[in-house]
Amino acid sequence: MELSRVLTYLAESAAIALRADAAAVCLLDESGTRLSVAAVHGLPAELLDRGSQEIQSCALDREALTSHAAVVADAQYDLLELPGQDFRAGLCTPLIHEGQPVGTLHVYATVPEHFCKDDAAKLRPLVDLGAAAIAATRAMTELKALEASRAQFIRVMTHELRSPVTVAQSLVRSVLYAGGLSDRQMEVFTRIGRRLDGLENLINDLLDLAAGKAPVPAEEGPVVLNASLGRVVLLLQPRAEDKNLEMAFQSCRDQLVVRGTEEGLDRIFVNIVGNAVKYTPPGGTVTVLMQQEDGQAQVEVADTGIGIPEEALPHLFEEFYRAPNAKKAEVGTGLGLAIVKDLVERYGGRIQVKSIVGVGTTFTVTLSLLSTNAA
Amino acid sequence: MANKRILIVHDDPDMVAALHLPLKSAGYDVLDASSSQEGLQKIQEFSPALVILDAILETASNLQISLALRNPAPQSPYASYRRIPILVLTPSHTTASLRLGSDEAYLPVDDFVDMPINPDMLLNKVNALIGVGD
Repeated sequence: MELSRVLTYLAESAAIALRADAAAVCLLDESGTRLSVAAVHGLPAELLDRGSQEIQSCALDREALTSHAAVVADAQYDLLELPGQDFRAGLCTPLIHEGQPVGTLHVYATVPEHFCKDDAAKLRPLVDLGAAAIAATRAMTELKALEASRAQFIRVMTHELRSPVTVAQSLVRSVLYAGGLSDRQMEVFTRIGRRLDGLENLINDLLDLAAGKAPVPAEEGPVVLNASLGRVVLLLQPRAEDKNLEMAFQSCRDQLVVRGTEEGLDRIFVNIVGNAVKYTPPGGTVTVLMQQEDGQAQVEVADTGIGIPEEALPHLFEEFYRAPNAKKAEVGTGLGLAIVKDLVERYGGRIQVKSIVGVGTTFTVTLSLLSTNAA
Repeated sequence: MANKRILIVHDDPDMVAALHLPLKSAGYDVLDASSSQEGLQKIQEFSPALVILDAILETASNLQISLALRNPAPQSPYASYRRIPILVLTPSHTTASLRLGSDEAYLPVDDFVDMPINPDMLLNKVNALIGVGD
């Protein structure tokens, strides 16, 4: 709910409760020194555009904030600071949330002596609720701003952090490719390259995680699973060939359409198939199998890799967790599978893993099928 | 002798250096430009056999080059360079390059190379685009 609606409701309710003719809500600014009219009931809307005023110049508000309530029994309108209005009586009570004043609530009546100090106590439950609502809507606004700056942060990170790393990697690879180095130099450059690869992985995973855990998911829609897996296999094929691995991909004849985003699905399978390639020793195989099962789409990624120890399986999807044998074998961050699980679940699917150390690992991702398009 | 000039348009001199090494060791003449304006100028001046552009997603200026070269209007000042192949460097680890290359997201470029570059893969693509070995 918008803050202005909450406040208007508060003003209206207060006026009804005390049978007053008008009411207004004033809010304190961040510094707590200036007040501005934020909502009115029974008063001209122009008051909202009056801008903020030093609290020192608002006698009634100042008194209310220091002594819980201020009552004007019979006054000329100038004391109520409402030129052109016919009010004779007024009551001002502070809006306090968790000990911090957030604003004031004013009620006005044309009849003198309309309010007494006890009226402030009658308004209490309403005022407390109002103050909490103000605090909550403000927190919500802050959250939205935070979310926007988080997205901005990711964009900056992507460019400012990843770019220099990939440029450095490219330079190292070029130097190694061009040759002419001594064995010792070659070794040092190889080490630099490996460190940079690790850093790149970490940055990519962190960015994936930051993007993947976003409370507002990217627009999801029907996505063709076959296409996503095709891209992933195409992307990772060269890496598999480099390691002398056999990569087999069995797609479905029919197109399987699932819920998600193209980027999200690609990320899921780049991670899983990437891990299979990473943790399978040369000469092994990685098989990607796609099938339709009980109205669901199922993707099985099986490898003949190092396997996952039984005691590591329950922790596999935890952030930053890495199985002991994985740590020894390869650089990694332990974020990949946390991201995968997050995404799979976001798309309403589930992921399972079976593994035998020294024999291999099979990951199975099951996603509910939106439709199938016969080939 | 066949044209072996390659123009790199990239605003990061370190990346340009990283591309220079493998391309030069494979016998190509390498030119570079740090802006799309300079790039278009050098295309007219040297008519390279291939243009390599920075990740198209991040620098709109490079889109300008590909669109200028691919402009189908007969009076386009780049009409005679229309057939120069364009290779684009894309951020790696995502399948962005594969998605960009798909039919539904057609961009007027010929191929993509993932960053960080793999020199072998870079040269394979460059050779294929220039037609070396045909």
